[in-house]
Amino acid sequence: MNAAIIERLGAVIAGIVVAVVAFYALYKDWNSTGVENQVFKLMLLLLGIGAILALLAGLNVVGFAPPVKS
Amino acid sequence: MAVASLAPDAGEVDQLYIETRELRLQGFLFFLISDCVLFSSFIFAYLYMRNSGQGWPPPGVQRLDVAFAAWNSVVLFGSGATMHYALENFKYGHFMRYMWFLLATIVLGVMFLGGQAYEYNHLIFGEHVTWAGSGIFGASFFTLTGMHGFHVFIGVCYLTVLVLQSAAGVYTRGKYFGITAGTLYWHFVDVIWVVLFSIFYLL
Amino acid sequence: MSVAAVHSGGIADHIHPEPQGFIRRYVFSLDHKIIGIQYLVTGFVFFMLSGLLAETIRTQLLNPNGGFVSPETYNEVYSIHGSAMVWLVVIPLLTGGFGNLVFPVQIGARDVAFPWLNMLSFWIFPVSGLMLFSSFLMGAPTAGWMEYPPVSLQGQAGTSMWAAAIFLVGVSSTMTGLNFLVTILKMRAPGMTFTRMPLFVWGQFATAPLLMIATTALAAALAALFINREFGVPFYDPTKGGSPVMWQHMFWFYSHPAVYIMILPAFGIISEVLPTFARKSIFGYKMIAFSSAAIALLGFMVWAHHMFTSGLAPFLQLPFMILTYIIGVPTGIKIFSWTATLWGGKIHYSTAMLFAIGFVALFTLGGITGIFLAAIPFDLHVHGTYFIVGHIHYVLVGGSMMGIFAGMYYWFPKMSGRLLNETLGKWHFWLFFIGFNGTFIPMHWLGMLGMPREVATYDPQFTFWNRFETFASYLMTFAILIFFVNIIWSIRYGKKAGANPWGARTLEWQVPSPPHYYNFKHVPTVYGLPYDFSQPLPYKGLEEELTDSPPAVAAGAH
Repeated sequence: MNAAIIERLGAVIAGIVVAVVAFYALYKDWNSTGVENQVFKLMLLLLGIGAILALLAGLNVVGFAPPVKS
Repeated sequence: MAVASLAPDAGEVDQLYIETRELRLQGFLFFLISDCVLFSSFIFAYLYMRNSGQGWPPPGVQRLDVAFAAWNSVVLFGSGATMHYALENFKYGHFMRYMWFLLATIVLGVMFLGGQAYEYNHLIFGEHVTWAGSGIFGASFFTLTGMHGFHVFIGVCYLTVLVLQSAAGVYTRGKYFGITAGTLYWHFVDVIWVVLFSIFYLL
Repeated sequence: MSVAAVHSGGIADHIHPEPQGFIRRYVFSLDHKIIGIQYLVTGFVFFMLSGLLAETIRTQLLNPNGGFVSPETYNEVYSIHGSAMVWLVVIPLLTGGFGNLVFPVQIGARDVAFPWLNMLSFWIFPVSGLMLFSSFLMGAPTAGWMEYPPVSLQGQAGTSMWAAAIFLVGVSSTMTGLNFLVTILKMRAPGMTFTRMPLFVWGQFATAPLLMIATTALAAALAALFINREFGVPFYDPTKGGSPVMWQHMFWFYSHPAVYIMILPAFGIISEVLPTFARKSIFGYKMIAFSSAAIALLGFMVWAHHMFTSGLAPFLQLPFMILTYIIGVPTGIKIFSWTATLWGGKIHYSTAMLFAIGFVALFTLGGITGIFLAAIPFDLHVHGTYFIVGHIHYVLVGGSMMGIFAGMYYWFPKMSGRLLNETLGKWHFWLFFIGFNGTFIPMHWLGMLGMPREVATYDPQFTFWNRFETFASYLMTFAILIFFVNIIWSIRYGKKAGANPWGARTLEWQVPSPPHYYNFKHVPTVYGLPYDFSQPLPYKGLEEELTDSPPAVAAGAH
């Protein structure tokens, strides 16, 4: 176990939580009206996408990781 | 605490408040748009220089390691989610839950800033990548993330003021534009980081 | 329909008490009309200063070898002349000055949306102006108003000061744009729909997003220039991997919209003056209004036509050329609509009208040379010559400045209660018109013959026309002196104007001159366009404006 693996695990687990929460909040807010709520919905969508990106980076699907020094 | 002030207060919200709130909301959104243009300009500059035909990454610079940044990003995105629930709870009158979510947001924001400091420290002293000395990589990376970090710092200050004001009972269930604006700003800062994270670490 | 101001108890029924002390009333004022006058005064002071710089340039060019100032000083002088005229004169006069002064009254609002922000944006402006001029003390920038790197990276210490000053004045413009946009979107009087707004408001409405968005891009470019110069961060430094062409992209992404910032409000002024003095409804109201919006939108898509010689990829050149041609279409719509407005009108040749007609003529000429320059082969030939100088002065002096003068003669009675002297005004117009054409027409053929701009000396074969231009420019300066004398004289001794000396129909002429602090006793209801001269006025609720009765809502009601 080195630091990079802990970081990745944290990113994956927390990424799942944040993505689920963001999309759930988006689902709950879907029918809200008003300018600020439309903006909030857009922001939540992007937030969820960002969490998924971080999750994928943690899984080493996207992004770059240097070879682990032993 | 100031839970009493969260009783439904019909009559206190007058027409003047509704109209000025509308103006402030509109003005705040326009401010965010122009701030977004500021970031976009630097992002454009980064992408332009990156594609100007001298190869990427520039000589002497490693590609950035994504592991720590992924964790740090999730911290910031999580703070966006807690901020969202802070506002939701305030709207529905759960004052204490609002305060806890707000404090959690501040803690996560500070954690993100600490992570940024760790990352800078690692880059500058570990890999000798500096603002002025590493060509266009150092220029755009430190300028953009530094600007973003400054925005996060301002956001943390704003949220701290919100905590103090809420404890003093400034906001009521009818008049809470300050909290809405804070939420908008914090979401904005998060979303900017989605873009920065993608273009610096994933691209 | 505007939601605001329909219900009772809102902003429309809310009047702040008028401040009484001199400082709060005239210096740190929150009143948009006072702030507008502050902008006008400051802007004209900077106009005089950079006009002096212009005359320094022309005096230097009397002789092929110059000799009036050193070549280094000449570089500083034309750089500051250009920067000051663009950022400290034309933009603040048209947006901050006339915008603040006129449009909130024209839409039936009591003030702009954010009066404190308005005061802040004004007070940043003189400070940044002083910073810009103080860069002379530490060695002013020498790379022209565009400050292209790498020359600006090697420039003297004042170049950083220049960047900071322009950054600040940009912050001021951004805040003004934001303020105006919110005001126009949210604070129109009941019944004032978008297609009933006066065309000056449409001009400001199209300008405000440009101010808000494009100026921020300039702020980014300037910040990068500043940190490149001061901290050596290689944004633009080609020796360390930066790109000088990137500055051109970022700068022109602002500065091309900026030329529309400098002309759209002037279009608005002209669209107010022409129907008033032709006593005829404006021709093609909607076309003029929507073409302003079209120009604002297209203005963001044409910036690289300034960079045809900067190594732009060939596949980008053609789209930018075509888009630049396309932007001529909405501009042409306006010119034809104004001409059609004059057609068959009962024209009254007051000074404001003369300037408006002069605007249409000179701006058309400047626009046509702009169409020349959009063509890549022609642009490659004349780029960096006096042809460009002639073109930009035709649109900025013949266009924007003529618009500003028309606005001054038109709205001076509204801000001061007295008319400007018409005799002096006509002298001003004719001397200015002749001097202007004498100065800038020869530049076109000098440029075609290859006289480069921004150089302190020139080939002796161009001597005659350069001397001709210099003497014509003295005539122009004399005309502007007449204008200032006229203003100072008329403030004291001008004829009393009354509420509506021109018989105009927009809202600001239906209230006393100068208007009350709160603009309207009752916020009026609007029923139609303000340009139908054969119809009764399309407003209700203005009956008491010219009487002595107090406002309907007590001051400080909340």
